[in-house]
Amino acid sequence: MKMCIACGMPMKAKEDFAMGDESKDYCRYCARPDGSMQSYDEKLEGMTDFIVRTQGLDKAAGENAARGMMEKLPAWKK
Amino acid sequence: MSKRDEQKAKTRQIIIHAAFEQFSKGGLINTPTASVAKAAGVSHGTIFAHFPTREDLLDAVIEEFGIRVSERMHELAQGACGMREILQVHLKGISEYENFYIRLISETPLLHEDTKNTLIMIQSAVSFHLTQVAEREMEKHIIKRMPLNLMFNTWLGLIHYYLANRDLFAPEGSVISRYGEEWVQHFMNLISL
Repeated sequence: MKMCIACGMPMKAKEDFAMGDESKDYCRYCARPDGSMQSYDEKLEGMTDFIVRTQGLDKAAGENAARGMMEKLPAWKK
Repeated sequence: MSKRDEQKAKTRQIIIHAAFEQFSKGGLINTPTASVAKAAGVSHGTIFAHFPTREDLLDAVIEEFGIRVSERMHELAQGACGMREILQVHLKGISEYENFYIRLISETPLLHEDTKNTLIMIQSAVSFHLTQVAEREMEKHIIKRMPLNLMFNTWLGLIHYYLANRDLFAPEGSVISRYGEEWVQHFMNLISL
C-alpha cells in the first residue's frame, strides 16, 4: 500500500490520491487546488493547525510536533 | 526485491514483532534490547544492524502499532460509518495491543522527543478519522456541535484513565473488553442530540 510522502496517510482508494491520480505519491490533503504538492511551509502550517484544532495542543508544541513528524516523511527527509 | 532484501525485511519484521511482545511485558523504557534479541532468536548485533539505536527500534514498533490501529479507521471513516462505529473500531484496534498501548500512554512523559512525536502522529491519524465522522454528524444534527479538540480529548481522557489504572478496573484481564461497550454508550449519550 502506498503512503503519502508528505503526511504519511495510507492511500488505498483512488480518491485518497491527489486529483484522484494513483500515479501521484501524495494525497489529496497535501495537494494544492491545481494538483501540485504543497510546500514545506504550507504543510507545516496545515499540520500545526490540524493538531491544534483536533487535539488542542499549545500552538508552539503543536508546531514542534508537526516539524518532528515531517522530518520522518520521505518528502521532507533531510 | 532480491532474496537478500527479502530476508532482511523478514528479519526486521521478526525483530519488530518480538519487540512488541517484550515492550508490552517489560515496558518501553526498561526492556533491554538483549531480551528483544533473545525473543526474536537473533544476535544482539543483528538488532543494531537493523536499528542503529534503541530509539529507532522503539520508533519502528510504535509506528507499526499506529499503522495497524489507524488502517481500519481509515477505510471506515471515508464510508458512511457513524460515530458509534468509528469509536468501536478505535477500541478494537487498541485492544489487539492493549498491553503495549498501556505501556505507551503510561510512559509517554519519559519518552524521547522523537518518540513522543511519533505518538502524536498516531493520535493525529486517530483524531483525523474521528473528526471526519464527527464533522459529518454535526452537519446532519446527529451529534452536538462542540470543539473537536475537547470532543477528542474527552474520549481519550475517558479511555486512558481506565487503561492507565487497569489494576483497579480489570486486574484480571482486558479493560477494553470489560468496559469498552460501556464507554462507547456513555460517550454517545454525551454527544448525541
